[in-house]
Amino acid sequence: MTTPERAERRRAWAAVAPALLWTLAFFVVPFAMMAAMSLWQRQGREVVRVWDLSNYQDFLSKPHLLGALWNSIEITVLVTVISVVLAYPLAWIIAERVPRHLQRLALALAVLPFWTSYVVRSYAWTLVLAKNGVLNQALIGAGLIAEPLEISATRGATVTGFVHFFVMLLTLTIYANLVQLPANYRRAAADLGAGPLAVFWHVTLPLTLPGIMVGAFLTFVLCIGDYITPQILGGNSELVLPQVIMLQLGRGADLPMAAALSIVLMTVVTAAWLACARWLRLERA
Amino acid sequence: MRTILLATVAAVAASAAQAEELNALVWCDHTDPALIEPFEKAHGVKVNLKEYEGTGTALSIVEQSRPGDWDVFVIDGIDVPRAIDAGLLAPLPVAELPMADIFPEVVLEGFQSRDGNTYAVTEKFGYNTISYNKEKISAEELSEMQALWSSDEFAGRIAIYDYYLPVMGMVAMGLGKQTADIGEGDLPAIRDALFGLKKNARSVVDVVSSQTALATGEVDILVGGGEWVTAILAADQPELDWMIPDQGAVRWSQSIGVFADSERKDLAVEFVKYILSPEGQARLATSSCYWAMPANAKAGEVLTDQQKAALRWDDQPDYLKRAQLYPAPDGDLDAAMQDAWTEMLQH
Amino acid sequence: MTAVLRLASWGYALALYGFIFLPVVVLVLFSFQDGRLPIPPFEGPTLRWYAAVWQDRSLTAALGNSFVVALASSAVSCALGFLAAWGLARGRLAGGRAMQGLITAPLTVSYLLIGLGLMISFNLTGISPSLLTVGIGHAVINTPLCFAICFASMGDHQVNIERAARDLGAREWQVLWLVTAPMLLPALAAGFALSVTFSWDEFIIAFLLSRFDVTLPVEIWSLLRSGLNPKTNAAGSVVFLVSVAMVLAAEFTLLRRRR
Repeated sequence: MTTPERAERRRAWAAVAPALLWTLAFFVVPFAMMAAMSLWQRQGREVVRVWDLSNYQDFLSKPHLLGALWNSIEITVLVTVISVVLAYPLAWIIAERVPRHLQRLALALAVLPFWTSYVVRSYAWTLVLAKNGVLNQALIGAGLIAEPLEISATRGATVTGFVHFFVMLLTLTIYANLVQLPANYRRAAADLGAGPLAVFWHVTLPLTLPGIMVGAFLTFVLCIGDYITPQILGGNSELVLPQVIMLQLGRGADLPMAAALSIVLMTVVTAAWLACARWLRLERA
Repeated sequence: MRTILLATVAAVAASAAQAEELNALVWCDHTDPALIEPFEKAHGVKVNLKEYEGTGTALSIVEQSRPGDWDVFVIDGIDVPRAIDAGLLAPLPVAELPMADIFPEVVLEGFQSRDGNTYAVTEKFGYNTISYNKEKISAEELSEMQALWSSDEFAGRIAIYDYYLPVMGMVAMGLGKQTADIGEGDLPAIRDALFGLKKNARSVVDVVSSQTALATGEVDILVGGGEWVTAILAADQPELDWMIPDQGAVRWSQSIGVFADSERKDLAVEFVKYILSPEGQARLATSSCYWAMPANAKAGEVLTDQQKAALRWDDQPDYLKRAQLYPAPDGDLDAAMQDAWTEMLQH
Repeated sequence: MTAVLRLASWGYALALYGFIFLPVVVLVLFSFQDGRLPIPPFEGPTLRWYAAVWQDRSLTAALGNSFVVALASSAVSCALGFLAAWGLARGRLAGGRAMQGLITAPLTVSYLLIGLGLMISFNLTGISPSLLTVGIGHAVINTPLCFAICFASMGDHQVNIERAARDLGAREWQVLWLVTAPMLLPALAAGFALSVTFSWDEFIIAFLLSRFDVTLPVEIWSLLRSGLNPKTNAAGSVVFLVSVAMVLAAEFTLLRRRR
């Protein structure tokens, strides 16, 4: 190895080291501590450092805890599917129908409410969805319904709040993917006699699938780990995993159980990551 | 970038150089500037407030702190023994406090004193009972508590206050039990009643959502509510009221004490004295988060007639007779009650 | 047929824009509500809730705290992310892939878990919650972001310019500060702006790791939990306007640079 090469390598190490140490100290070590904590136990007012799986056994044997996991998964899958289905056409319209010089503006408008504080955004949905709120009064005023819709404080309200956020996010990611598609692929398919639907189905959609998967994965991770939206909008009609974790932290003062439930959440996210892994590689320009 | 860093350093340095500080762990009614600022001005100090809901949360905050982090503790009256057991509280100089002016029914000596020392003093009290909309339903219809979970008449008209202790206490009273005697054996019956209540309920909500739900007509009845929910809305919406069913109500009370590890005990005691003074009591009773009765009878001389009417000052002797204290479960029972509550939420 | 399709797509776009804007419009509208209840009918307009926000010293303090935390944590994230991206792109280090995976790992973990893990470890090591711990938490979530953005724009064409600078006698920190960083300015600015907005709006980590001094989302959360108060609408609208202003400012400065 030549000297300049060695010097270069040393410099590179020195540059990478701070971020590595930072990640180790404030990410890897905390995770290890949380994993250790999940094996301890809360007894009375003490955290006892016995090492066993009793928190996990509790989780599996108590239906209201296990139920929170199923609620989380159901809601997250529902939200992810609805958001992709709603966002894709919007991204497509912006990319294909809006004149090029207006696309940036159209996109900026589509994600503008993203900049409201996210606590406030959920709260704003409670105003919209309330029994005597804006939506119901407007629908009744328009003669579309006779009785107010009972959406507030239900799973429907939680899903609405989530979908609102993720439609914005997915419109962005799917649009970014659509505009990168070389137009001549589609032109070639059309020249070979494919109709617009066939072009979309056999060319556009498969080519944008990686973008969709990245967006869907992001949606999944952010949605399943969120506490605020279900807490503000769900009205405690059912609990999701993050709510149960926060209950352990607060009322129960049961840090070990909170840690164990977090490891469960982490496992679910990892499984989702493995399922999407082949679309999620970070590439350099 | 450099300016940003400098600004940050300056901001951190400025906050470190400030006057003496007092750290208090409180319920949200103590965060009203109208209550805190007079004390800060009088003593030239800064009061740092951390609000919590529920003793479990408070104890978990204390556990996650270092000794000496905290000076003043506002805690549920019935949980004072837990705090004394844990060695959290310091004895108070009762001679300097207006003990004689506290309504005798709310003193809770058995809870607050041990071996001749007093560790906490009641500062505010009220009821967890039923808030309702007078225009939609009458007090007579609500007088039988069991109907709340057994009658279809209430389906979709109820919100439940999301705090397991008072609501489970109410349910126990509705089932003819004493809140002080609740044991593991009572839980199945209480849980079944809770499931019935959940079936009739539109939502299980925190303070703001319950106020919103009542005020916007989303529900007609709030189980677990009381003057602390509706008194503040009384001026705008006189139709919102509260009542006590035949089986009675649960009485809550807050106590104030000083942490044993506090490094500023003198200032902390001054704060306790201020909160218990007639002026402090009147401000606390009508603070922005929730209104409720002051523990010091002399506060009546400071409160206006209108405020006293909203607090139902004159009806207190009757209410006090019909109310029982919050349940005060030990560790295991507490965990079992929380489990039952979570099961209700998931039901 | 095409006309129908065109009409349908514009109808769809309009409906979806309506859905996206509905909560914001309602929020801003009812911040001018002259009355306690944020439901129709609309009475007003009034500015009294904005006056109430302005006079609320905990809200204004939280606003200041949010700014300090967002700027400081983003600066740290950008510095760490930029250096690591440079090292990994230039160094051809053994295990580069693994290190890249490690540094970006926090991106795939829920904020709740990062916050809880930090809370547990600060707790076990006796570090009190404060704005500093919140800033650390935010730098943990934003470092991988800044790293990814810088790493993606590290091209091989920049290597020669760096080499030339070195050959001309520049010291290593001079190369980084005077050559590489300016070349990557768009990426750095994007990473910084994104980090600021993420930190500015982050709730759960700030909630778990703070005590007395809190950031704006945490203060709004406690406002939401302590009594029905239309101030919340006004505070929310202010946050929205401030954020949009920041985005516009970033957009214009970045665009101008690019030209």
